[in-house]
Amino acid sequence: MSQEVQATAASTRPRRAKGEVQVWLTAVGLSTGLIMIIGLLGLILWNGITVFWPKPVVEFALREADGKTTAVAGEVVKTRLRPADDGSAGKEEIQIFTGNKDAYGLAFRFIDGEAVTGRTEPRDLILAERMEYGDSLFYPIGLDLADGSRVEVADEKFDETFSQLVREAGERRREILHIEKKQIGRLNERIRSEEMAIRRLERSGGGDPAPHQAAIEAAQKEYEALAAEARRLRAEQESNILRYRLASGEERTQKLGDFVHYYRPNDLSWFGRLGVFSYHFFEFITGEPREANTEGGIFPAIFGTFVMTILMAVMVSPLGVIAAIYLREYAAQGLMVRIVRICVNNLAGVPSIVFGVFGLGFFVYGVGSFIDGGTKTPMPAVAWWLSGLAFIVNAVAAIVLAMNYGGSNPNLPKPNAVIRFLKPFTAVCAVLFGIATLVFNPYFDGFYSESLPTPTFGTGGILWASLTLALMTLPVVIVATEEALAAVPRGVREAALACGASKWQMIQRVVLPSALPGVMTGVILAMARGAGEVAPLMITGVVKLAPSLPIDLSAPFIHAERKFMHLGFHIYDLGFQSPDSEGAKPMVFATTLFLILLVVVMNLTAIRIRTQLKKKYQASAF
Amino acid sequence: MEPSKEPTEAPVKTRPAPRPVPARFLVSKRTLHFDRFMTSAIVFGGLGIVVAVFGIFGFILSQIIPLFGKAHIRKAAEIPMAYQEGGVLGLDEWSELPFFYDGGSEIAFYPMSGTGEAAEPRKESVGLPEGAVVSAYRYDAVSQTLIVGTADGRAGLVKIGYSAAEVDGKRAVSAKVESQPFLPLNEATPAPVRAIDYKDSGDRKLFAVIQGDGAGARVGVVTLRQQRSLLGKGTVKVEGYADLTDQLDGSQPVDILAAGTADSLIVRTEANELFYLFLSGDQWTVRQRFTPFEGTGETVAGLGYLFGDVSLVVYSTGGRVRIYSLFIKEGEKARTFGLTKELHPLRDGITHYFASQRNKSFLVANDHEVALCYATTESVRKTMELPFRAGSLAMDAKAEHAGFIDREAGRLHLFEIDDPHPEAGWRAFFAEIWYEGFAKPKYEWQSTSGTDDFEPKLSLTPLIIGSLKGTLYAMLFAVPIAVLAAIYVSQFMHPDVKRLVKPLMEIMASLPSVVLGFLAALWLAPLIEARVPSVLTIIVLIPVVAALIGYAWSHTPVSFRNRMPMGGEYLILIPAVLAAGWIGWNLGPAVERQLFVATMPGGERIADFRLWWPQFSGLPYDQRNCLVVGFMMGFAVIPVIFTIAEDALSNVPPSIISASEALGASRWQVVRTVVLPIAAAGIFSALMIGLGRAVGETMIVVMATGNTPVMDEMGRLLFGEAGIGNGQFPIADHWNLFNGMRTLSANIAVELPEAAVGSTHYRSLFLGALVLFLMTFVLNTVAEVLRQRLREKFKIV
Repeated sequence: MSQEVQATAASTRPRRAKGEVQVWLTAVGLSTGLIMIIGLLGLILWNGITVFWPKPVVEFALREADGKTTAVAGEVVKTRLRPADDGSAGKEEIQIFTGNKDAYGLAFRFIDGEAVTGRTEPRDLILAERMEYGDSLFYPIGLDLADGSRVEVADEKFDETFSQLVREAGERRREILHIEKKQIGRLNERIRSEEMAIRRLERSGGGDPAPHQAAIEAAQKEYEALAAEARRLRAEQESNILRYRLASGEERTQKLGDFVHYYRPNDLSWFGRLGVFSYHFFEFITGEPREANTEGGIFPAIFGTFVMTILMAVMVSPLGVIAAIYLREYAAQGLMVRIVRICVNNLAGVPSIVFGVFGLGFFVYGVGSFIDGGTKTPMPAVAWWLSGLAFIVNAVAAIVLAMNYGGSNPNLPKPNAVIRFLKPFTAVCAVLFGIATLVFNPYFDGFYSESLPTPTFGTGGILWASLTLALMTLPVVIVATEEALAAVPRGVREAALACGASKWQMIQRVVLPSALPGVMTGVILAMARGAGEVAPLMITGVVKLAPSLPIDLSAPFIHAERKFMHLGFHIYDLGFQSPDSEGAKPMVFATTLFLILLVVVMNLTAIRIRTQLKKKYQASAF
Repeated sequence: MEPSKEPTEAPVKTRPAPRPVPARFLVSKRTLHFDRFMTSAIVFGGLGIVVAVFGIFGFILSQIIPLFGKAHIRKAAEIPMAYQEGGVLGLDEWSELPFFYDGGSEIAFYPMSGTGEAAEPRKESVGLPEGAVVSAYRYDAVSQTLIVGTADGRAGLVKIGYSAAEVDGKRAVSAKVESQPFLPLNEATPAPVRAIDYKDSGDRKLFAVIQGDGAGARVGVVTLRQQRSLLGKGTVKVEGYADLTDQLDGSQPVDILAAGTADSLIVRTEANELFYLFLSGDQWTVRQRFTPFEGTGETVAGLGYLFGDVSLVVYSTGGRVRIYSLFIKEGEKARTFGLTKELHPLRDGITHYFASQRNKSFLVANDHEVALCYATTESVRKTMELPFRAGSLAMDAKAEHAGFIDREAGRLHLFEIDDPHPEAGWRAFFAEIWYEGFAKPKYEWQSTSGTDDFEPKLSLTPLIIGSLKGTLYAMLFAVPIAVLAAIYVSQFMHPDVKRLVKPLMEIMASLPSVVLGFLAALWLAPLIEARVPSVLTIIVLIPVVAALIGYAWSHTPVSFRNRMPMGGEYLILIPAVLAAGWIGWNLGPAVERQLFVATMPGGERIADFRLWWPQFSGLPYDQRNCLVVGFMMGFAVIPVIFTIAEDALSNVPPSIISASEALGASRWQVVRTVVLPIAAAGIFSALMIGLGRAVGETMIVVMATGNTPVMDEMGRLLFGEAGIGNGQFPIADHWNLFNGMRTLSANIAVELPEAAVGSTHYRSLFLGALVLFLMTFVLNTVAEVLRQRLREKFKIV
């Protein structure tokens, strides 16, 4: 040891630096953190991607307790050692996905590793996705066609016929869906609106309901024609039948209309697998959910998340920007503004559920019920007219005063005390009277009073959800915009003023454009936060399965009152509310991966904009 | 630009000073108007938005304030009503057709005209047998039945069925009187009925009666049986008579009450003693006898059940009320009455009592004052002087009206009771309350239940503790990792790598919590359920391994050490930590065999942590426990703490660091003695913000603690086992690491969608949200103020 010390005496580093162990201990913090983060992302990435990749199906030969041999086919999910009762590592167990929930009752099962006598990967085994009962693994036997003819599997044209029939079934299914959801849905909408019109007539006590009734009857006739068409197609769906055999030897039949897609998992080339992968992925992104969301796609959830986030961004951006401009450009920078700024910062840390509570109480039960059925406590008609008059007078006065006094030009004489008092006073009065006139309107019975007690806006919906999230993310936008405004160099402002621009012109034409990337960063960060938030949505309008999208082709195109689906809630619902959480796991992982990608991409964009901004202003700051 | 200015300046000096041309400085009117308008608009709009955002606080507050409001009792109407001493008053659900019964052969119904004018009462016969004289009666408001006993020892029931129909858009209440045939109670020795009660529990119906006078008074129970026939319900017949007089030890019975379950009786004796008799099998036995106002010098003036028939309200001649509830006392097997609450609502002796049929409130009154009380919170909601001498009182089924009869003027005064949130209040939310059926006072949250007579339990304390508990474990896990990592990244790491690590952490901070919750519940919980010893081993092993490596490293030759780039420790430690994790994971079962061996009742010894923990600590073990929540919430908190702490540490002025390095301090000495003290406030504020995030975290808790029912084979429904549902655990084990919990935020998310708008439950959840809001707001403000101080101190942006 002492020799080493001597040998290193010349080194510039201290020989035995004090506290190296502690340094290593701090390093372990970082290492653990990094391992956890990368591990977590890796776990989701791996589980999310492999969902779509076709796995080989193994047929196990099993020796039963009574000496007989049975066979079972399935994808291997995991192999584990089942701990025995005394705590020692026990026997090997293989969990396999057997599919055929209709035949076996469960889609997963454990098999005893010791009982396995043989494993094969039969090439002619088919994995088929079905409309019900999940996937099926089977050996085909033959097809019973509608015209009475049969095609056996040994037949050359079996494959061709089978795939063509499945494709036709898919087309027919789309057609049925189109009829039932789009066309009949539109008819229902029409009938409902006519019925509402009749009820409105009844309430107002005048008018002839006959034309409305005639319209309803016409719609009924149309409906019957469409329903007959749908019935015909459904019958066609059931006309062709596939006979097949399970690995266990049981023979079953299934209507071809039930099949969505099939492939031979053990007979795929790498490109074949890639094809199946892309098909699955495409289906996942664009398809509708089936079977309590555990199968099919997540398109409505993606669309719902997208629409809600955009709505939220549209609402939060102007509010956040105006508040930030006020705080940074117009407010006198003193203690008060500092306190407000700290409070705004802190609002970003207030739990999202608190905003959800507010959204439910204020937007849904307050504003929503008001839109539906008008006020419950109307003011007397005279008071209402007076209040309306007061609103108009005050509003006009406020605008006139605002346009003629004050402003940013220091050369103009200061307005006198009366006007200085009147300016905010009239504005506040205008707002108060305006709100009173609006809220206690005795002549307003709500836009949807005829459909009460079924609420229209008085229940959770996409508008309320995005408004709630807009409030929640407002601090994010305010803080980011303020930072961006502060980063605009003083010289640029002074130059603009020196050129004769008014303060507003300076802000509008010089400050705001150069702060725009910063504002964008804030909005994108807000969107990322909003897209991943679930708790406030749970109480303001998200549902596990929405019958229709919030934006569609039926008037008025944007249905702000509709409930919607959301990726985050989809994860919660699949993982926790679905009857078969083991079977739903792959879907949850895939959805999770998608949500994380969405959020991470948004965040990365924001971070990129921010670093570029920093560089830009570091260069130009003086 | 600037250089071009200077040459032009020189000639200016030589010329005569230019006079400004005013026209050049004129700005168009439109621009000026617009500028002024925008100034006002932005000031107004900006202030408006800020005010509106803080209006959230105001709105939540406005939803809560009614919870703490007082009860109001207002006079609503008055009609003349013939009064007879001792008669009973009954109100219908809408208080529009009250009746009065004075022990005669008819019931008088008085329509409330609203004008106060005398309306002719409608009289209905109670169907008394010929020649019978009523000697005792009682009105059971819950079943709307008049129970009548006669002087010749017979008893009968008179059902008063109210119904409302809409006539011309107005409600018209009508009453139907349906009397059942009077039955002889004790045919062997018929004696006048002095007190009577009747209860029907569905499969058992009984009359409880006191017959006879003075020393000859007898207590008896008559069970009835309804004959069932193919055509439906048949006639009711007396099945048996049980004489319970002997059970009373010779005391003279005065009053008798039967419980709604028709299996127990309360008999009050002249000696102010109560006998609690219970039917076990087919034998009536005295289960308990007690003297309610023993030692106070007051005597029992009367008694009655609270809604739900679990608590007995006994009131005294001194204006005092004592509430006895049924619960299983320590060391006993059967439920007996115990004193749980005491109130002193009135100054003078109480003569009247009426229990609400909607909640646990009740009215007590004497002839000149009345008090509305709520039993659960042991509070007097309202006392009121009556401007007349009151004879009888009643409350309607919705507890919205109370009626009093002015005994002198013979008028019915109808009062409106406005007490929407009697079960709320500071005591209810934050104090220990002795709920019905509990063996001792408890903090408890259980807002809803299937039954009508349920007593809502609204203590926020367990929820706040649940929030703090989850936060505590998350912080225990996150703080070391985040702070250590921040120190390392800011002080020892190469700047190029730092530029990569920081954004990675920032992205982590924006990971949706629903993702973490899902992983916690479906991946982590099953994974570590059986491997707790492995997890504990890993937690111990990782720092030990790091310290060992550090120690060994500092003893390697410098030439070898120099080969590692500065700040490359993590490169060696990542594989080391992975290895330690792997070893710990596989070592776990061995550790379990050594340390965590549970002894089963059968004497066998099983090495299983899940069995060992309850035996060792007496606390429950759940699959979805705080270990899982703490770990995953830690995940959410680590990036938050890391980012802010790293900022604080990086902003320590380099000059100070350089100075101490120049004095020969090693890099750790610099950190310990210079950097950490300076950045301490910043790190503290990072912890505060992390705390704020953990306290309000919703989805991770909802999912990872099993707050919602999961019906797969692995998940267990923990709601109720979490230490708050069934109230089996004292407050100490709300801190147990190995059971679940329910937090404020999760509770709101789960219960708010089901809460009725404006109900006490709904407003209580708003109160929970306000508590959460204030908690995080205070934490964040402290953090923010600290951070700003720090910034000013070191003049860093």
